[in-house]
Amino acid sequence: MTVNITDSVTWINESIAHSDFNEHVSVYLIEAETGYIVVDSGSVHHRRSISEQLQDATDDKGVDAIILSHSDYPHSGNISEFRDRWGDVELIASSGSPEIQGLQNATKCTIGGSMDVLGREFSFIDPPLADRSHTTWIYDHASRVLFTADGFGNYHQPEEEDYTSADFDNVTPFEEIYQYHRDNLVWLRYVDPGKLRDALDATLNQFEVSSVAPIHGNPIRGSDLDTYLDRLIRAADKITNEYVVA
Amino acid sequence: MAREISPGIHWLQELGPDQRDNFELRDEPPSWCTPGDTVHIPQCAYLLVGSDRTLLFDTLSPASTEKLKDEVSSILGDRSLDYVVVSHPDIPHAGNAIEMLREYPKAELVGPGYGNDHELYHLDDAMKVVEGDTIDLGDLAVEFHEAAFLDAPVFVWMTERTTETLFPVDWMGFPHLSEDELNFVDEAHHDVGVEQLLHFHARVLFWHKYVDVEKVQREIDNLIEKYNPSMIAPAHGLVIREDAVEYMEKMKDVVARIQQTGRLGIIG
Ligand SMILES: [Fe+2]
Ligand SMILES: [Fe+2]
Ligand SMILES: [Fe+2]
Repeated sequence: MTVNITDSVTWINESIAHSDFNEHVSVYLIEAETGYIVVDSGSVHHRRSISEQLQDATDDKGVDAIILSHSDYPHSGNISEFRDRWGDVELIASSGSPEIQGLQNATKCTIGGSMDVLGREFSFIDPPLADRSHTTWIYDHASRVLFTADGFGNYHQPEEEDYTSADFDNVTPFEEIYQYHRDNLVWLRYVDPGKLRDALDATLNQFEVSSVAPIHGNPIRGSDLDTYLDRLIRAADKITNEYVVA
Repeated sequence: MAREISPGIHWLQELGPDQRDNFELRDEPPSWCTPGDTVHIPQCAYLLVGSDRTLLFDTLSPASTEKLKDEVSSILGDRSLDYVVVSHPDIPHAGNAIEMLREYPKAELVGPGYGNDHELYHLDDAMKVVEGDTIDLGDLAVEFHEAAFLDAPVFVWMTERTTETLFPVDWMGFPHLSEDELNFVDEAHHDVGVEQLLHFHARVLFWHKYVDVEKVQREIDNLIEKYNPSMIAPAHGLVIREDAVEYMEKMKDVVARIQQTGRLGIIG
């Protein structure tokens, strides 16, 4: 499914099923002045569906650049497919050792820095909630959307697949935020929730965010961000309290 | 090049690119670095050749496919490979798993029984191992463990029982000089201490910046008690065969230091 997040940002959502909930493994399409940018490439699992939706959403023009959050397979799985399909697709990646990460012909972006991609400015942010060392969060200055992996996610019920935070009764539910982070960012069992909150606040103070666009969750509208954040920190607190180290 | 670190346990190392720039060596060379050397945070894989069966623990990165195949085949000679274990599906660890299974079609893929995303990593058909599961190789025997310190949920640690070797994967890595390729820590040209361990963990396991330090330190104490290893074989450093527990103790200082230094950069 494609869901418009802003005039120029479209969410192309895919999911995998777990036993009693689903997990998004999405990509986001950005229409820039001079071409189309996709944030992440999705999983090989959804290769066909993502490629076809991108083909449609770009009026058959295809994608010109990929900005990669990190090289983890569910994010990098379709880079070669996009290049086979649409030719010379530029890959922008934060990895310092792309050949070790299996990435070919990557343009390096620097975490903490900014870069112009197809006439649009992006900033690359050190993510407090991530798995791999080279993961970057990606801030699109034109739309003010912050793209995140793997943090800021949530599990969802099948009927919630296309929701943004505004479509839930009362923003993304605590339980879905908690379970997702418990299962996917395992190191949270050692977290000091105060340190995490400070880091997230610092990021959100530096960049004015219209929506947070997670790869593994429902997009969060700026007006729902405070509620989401409170639940996220409560989730972190619960995760660490449940893991007792004698 | 590979090195037999104990009878039947072979250490394969991929140095990877020179990381000097990452350490800002030009401005402020760390004490352990001599000018002119290249600095590496390697990938390590371990090939265990038991009297009955053989097992490969991790597969190096896609930049070393041919090197891995050559080294495994020259060590195995006319033996076959029975198990390919993926500690976690990160590309520099798992990048050649499919290639190795193609090369050794009878080998069984073994992966972590933790996490819930196996289908996204081609691990749905793997034999899944969790805490306490063992594979008997004859005169060697491996046991699998829930990983304490990790980056991703689909993850497993391993020990080899007869040698009391702990394979802690992404934990306890450190940068070293090219001249120390395949050297044991006690043979390295410079002492390996808190400083090198810090430079690894403050990048790769950057999340240490956000932890409750005392909780992590208690966890390390528990790991020392649980494993009490004679040898530590990390995925991103040199093998420690002397005073292994002391190096685990040093990790308690490393965690405390990261609170002051913050994140030092990225690796990978
Ligand atoms: Fe990830
Ligand atoms: Fe992910
Ligand atoms: Fe690693």
